[in-house]
Amino acid sequence: MLDTGHHDRRLQRRLRESPEFRAEFERQQREIAAVDAVINTLDELRTERNLTKAQLAREIGKNEASIRRLLTAPVNPELRTVVALADALDADIRIVPRKRTAARRKTRVA
Amino acid sequence: MPWGVVYYRTVDGRVPADEFLDRCPDKVEATILAVLDAVRRAPPPAFSGGGKWEAMHGSMGGYYEIRVTGPGRRQYRLFCRLENGTPEELAQRGFAGPQIVVINGMDKPSGQVFSDADYQRHVRRLGEDYLSTLPRRIA
Repeated sequence: MLDTGHHDRRLQRRLRESPEFRAEFERQQREIAAVDAVINTLDELRTERNLTKAQLAREIGKNEASIRRLLTAPVNPELRTVVALADALDADIRIVPRKRTAARRKTRVA
Repeated sequence: MPWGVVYYRTVDGRVPADEFLDRCPDKVEATILAVLDAVRRAPPPAFSGGGKWEAMHGSMGGYYEIRVTGPGRRQYRLFCRLENGTPEELAQRGFAGPQIVVINGMDKPSGQVFSDADYQRHVRRLGEDYLSTLPRRIA
């Protein structure tokens, strides 16, 4: 088998040598996880409610292709569309403040 | 099981994706690597990558791109392929599991487009070279 560790070694080296790189990498991980969770949850709710993507699109007055694209092929989702989809699925979008640790509060203040 | 991430290597030992990432501003590189990390954990067809990972179409069908906006709205793109198949097929290519294959990257000022010649020279030509070898040639 080939040695497939090149990428992991590059990432570990960059995380070690640059605090700025590490901070941005971790920030991006949180942002990506949040976007993915919203879209994946909407799609799970759609499945639970036995709605096709076409039915859901009609429900919010959008064309079918754009909703299919949003839920299956990653695109940058419009917030208004996400909110409309949640509403059609009888769900709410909420922002929940994190419980911040003392260390994190200090970093923000500094 | 998360997928692996491997980088294409040319016959003369260059690694175009490494050269591209080395040229990227730190924040752009960090974003690109965070997207790769997310996609390897939840590979297609799952929604993954926070909207920054997209399947390409037309003459770039079979490729995926990571799209990141950098300082001055400069646009950075990393081009990848997916390696998947039966365990026997993957073993023949040198892999124990499925892989995201990073081919190369390109950047451009905001508002400009890459020409098909750009894609051919900097991505498809390299991708074809990658696919032509067994086992695959990687960094």
